[in-house]
Amino acid sequence: MANNKLLTTVAPHLHEKGQTIERAMRDVLLALAPAVVVAIVVYGMNVVYIIAVSMITAGLSEVVMRKILRRKVTLSDLSAMVTGLIFAFLLPPTTPLWVVAIGAFLAVGVAKELFGGLGKNVFNPALLARVALMISPLALYTTKFVEPFYWKSVGFFTPVATSIDNAVAGRVVYKSLVGNTVNTVTSATPLSLLKSGRLLVDTVAGPTPVGATWVTDAGRPSFWSTFLGFKSGCIGEVCILALLIGAAYLVYRRTIDWRIPAGIIGAFFAIMLITWNHPIYQLFGGGLFLGAFFMATDWVTSPMTRRGKWIYAVGIGVFIALIRLLGPLPEGVAIAILQWNVLTLLIDRYIAKPKFGEVKKPWFNRLPVFPKRKAAEGET
Amino acid sequence: MRKTGYKTFRRGGIHPPYHKELSSGKAITRAPVPSRLMVPLRQHIGAPNKPLVSPGDRVTVGQKIGDADAFVSAPVHSPVAGRVEVIEDVKSFSGETVTSIIIAADAEQPPFEEQKIKPLDELSAEEIREIAGEAGLVGMGGAAFPTRVKLSPPEDKPIESVIINGCECEPFLTCDHRLMIERTDELVQALGLMIRAVGADGGVIGVESNKMDAALKLRAAVSDQPNLDVEVLEVKYPEGAEKQLIFAITGREVPPGKLPSEVGCLVQNVGTAIALYEAASAGKPLYERVVTVTGPGVKEPGNLIAKVGTPISTLIEACGGFLGETAKVIIGGPMTGWAQEDLDAPVVKGTSGVVALTPELIDVREEEACVRCAKCVEACPMYLMPNSIVEAVQHGDWEKAELWGALDCFECGCCTFTCPAYIPHVEYVRKAKAEIATLKG
Repeated sequence: MANNKLLTTVAPHLHEKGQTIERAMRDVLLALAPAVVVAIVVYGMNVVYIIAVSMITAGLSEVVMRKILRRKVTLSDLSAMVTGLIFAFLLPPTTPLWVVAIGAFLAVGVAKELFGGLGKNVFNPALLARVALMISPLALYTTKFVEPFYWKSVGFFTPVATSIDNAVAGRVVYKSLVGNTVNTVTSATPLSLLKSGRLLVDTVAGPTPVGATWVTDAGRPSFWSTFLGFKSGCIGEVCILALLIGAAYLVYRRTIDWRIPAGIIGAFFAIMLITWNHPIYQLFGGGLFLGAFFMATDWVTSPMTRRGKWIYAVGIGVFIALIRLLGPLPEGVAIAILQWNVLTLLIDRYIAKPKFGEVKKPWFNRLPVFPKRKAAEGET
Repeated sequence: MRKTGYKTFRRGGIHPPYHKELSSGKAITRAPVPSRLMVPLRQHIGAPNKPLVSPGDRVTVGQKIGDADAFVSAPVHSPVAGRVEVIEDVKSFSGETVTSIIIAADAEQPPFEEQKIKPLDELSAEEIREIAGEAGLVGMGGAAFPTRVKLSPPEDKPIESVIINGCECEPFLTCDHRLMIERTDELVQALGLMIRAVGADGGVIGVESNKMDAALKLRAAVSDQPNLDVEVLEVKYPEGAEKQLIFAITGREVPPGKLPSEVGCLVQNVGTAIALYEAASAGKPLYERVVTVTGPGVKEPGNLIAKVGTPISTLIEACGGFLGETAKVIIGGPMTGWAQEDLDAPVVKGTSGVVALTPELIDVREEEACVRCAKCVEACPMYLMPNSIVEAVQHGDWEKAELWGALDCFECGCCTFTCPAYIPHVEYVRKAKAEIATLKG
């Protein structure tokens, strides 16, 4: 009987079909595709240049860093591609490409690989890189936003980058690749309008069909323009509808857990309703949906138990609300998620779920799960 | 969760590809008797047996050839008439070496001589336990725990219901399914015996809904007995795990580290029940069992009655040999069974199946770093966090591995099945269990 090479691995001998890291990453890339399409329509081909630079730099950073750190190169798991794409999503549509490249390297090379590689990173890599840029000398390039459809006066394919006017110190202008200043001006995002108090009238959902003006009579973006994407903002956060379509796909595929976005958006919206602080604008005006569905749900940096997920999600929702209501920033999604990324490890360690058959106790009685470790071991 | 309307355990579990159709329609047949049988002296959990025969001795069918004094043990009996060749170490299905009695079988095999003990209705609880012990009965679902011990629950923990485990949630296996269909009445009578042995109020037979034919037949058979019931359960792995089955049927959770008697239940496998019936009605000890020989790598899958000690190569030959490129041969089911290096391992009392897998069903990859996706946490039917156990083991922190519940894990393999990083959690858990056992002495 021919049995020359029988495999002898340990049970179980079956594996769920197609359950791989690549599949999950491919799912995320696919889910973000609708948002990419809308971003191209609203902000022109500049978006494509930024995404391309970000993804290529992310991939290269992973290869180079893993070679330096003597790890197996795992480009095929597509995680660097996802980080690259999400990082691009967090940038204004006119970010200079060299800034994009620096940021993408920070995301994959530093925030992911230096922290130990996929699975070991404490922070969401794309978010950490984004916040690093925000507090760096390059902040100016990543905090100025242009109007939607600015490309109508510049040309669809023309690369445009935020730049500083040499004549007037501190003034921001927009230049094409060859250095010509182009006819584009900085515009406020819905949330910065809110923050600066320039949004005086409460939201009224005025119908604004595609092609019509994105500003209502009161001089502010209408409900539909914030929802469909005719507003100033980062590349990825522009169209809530596109994000929701992608998110629905991910929830359907069980790539992300619905509890996290539900907790974040629920807690945040509840606070905005209670304080009556333009709840609809707050909901659709910024990066809340992008953060809640695509960044807070990152496997590596979110808790693993259902109970932990709820705590984490509600925590993020509350933090975003606090930052927007009381803090100096108009946004706050990135900071809130990063703060709770740190707490994830603690949540997973101390908010244990009861084992099968264990007597049910309220969760707060079960803290902490681990006995205090002996001093000798504790410090190592 | 998919809603089917049938009872099931609450959280965790997976839906592996079942492929039961390969052998579920095949009636039970007898496997040929090999010329040389290797009967391991220890086929159960508990104390090993001492041989009662020496090389050169003649043995008859059903003769006791190994026994131990310990309570937690089960004697072994000769499956054939023949001559003891030698007593030596043989590699078992799990790779351990077990002292075994090698028997050369006679060319002519006389049938087993039935002994009438007493009408079944007149057997007392103590007598039933004694019969189970003398016949060498063990749990035939795979764990092989001595049945006599199971039928002797502690005095302070009365058993309310006896549950017959007809789930057979392991993919591919169909031996219990066939037994339920072909020996329905005997199964119901065996359930009656077990109820009497432990003084329970009633009994339930749990059957997954992919074996509706068996469930309906059983239902008809118990319809005139008010204390018996058949519960159809959702098809979900591991529905047939002891604690999950009790939870599905009664809604009670067996506490960590405790036995089913804690919640007033006793679970017995279908094969064990049939063996108890045979032992009680005809005095027949457990020396043969139904083994499902199946898989896409086997030419004619089937359910065979095989003598204990039959090498699995004999069974595969009896099923027409291998078909195409067989890459893996498993003793047991594909979720918890043991992959074999060669085909020499003998059938034992706990062998429920021999599964030959072809490459397209095998997905073995290099282990990657955990991405904390929590799929294992969602899949764990014991509500553990398998990846945390793995992490503790990787750090050599056995204390923490135990705190994370390494000892509560019964190695169903749901976590590894669903892991996108291909982490072999079960392997790590076994390591943790061994280390914790050594530390505790």
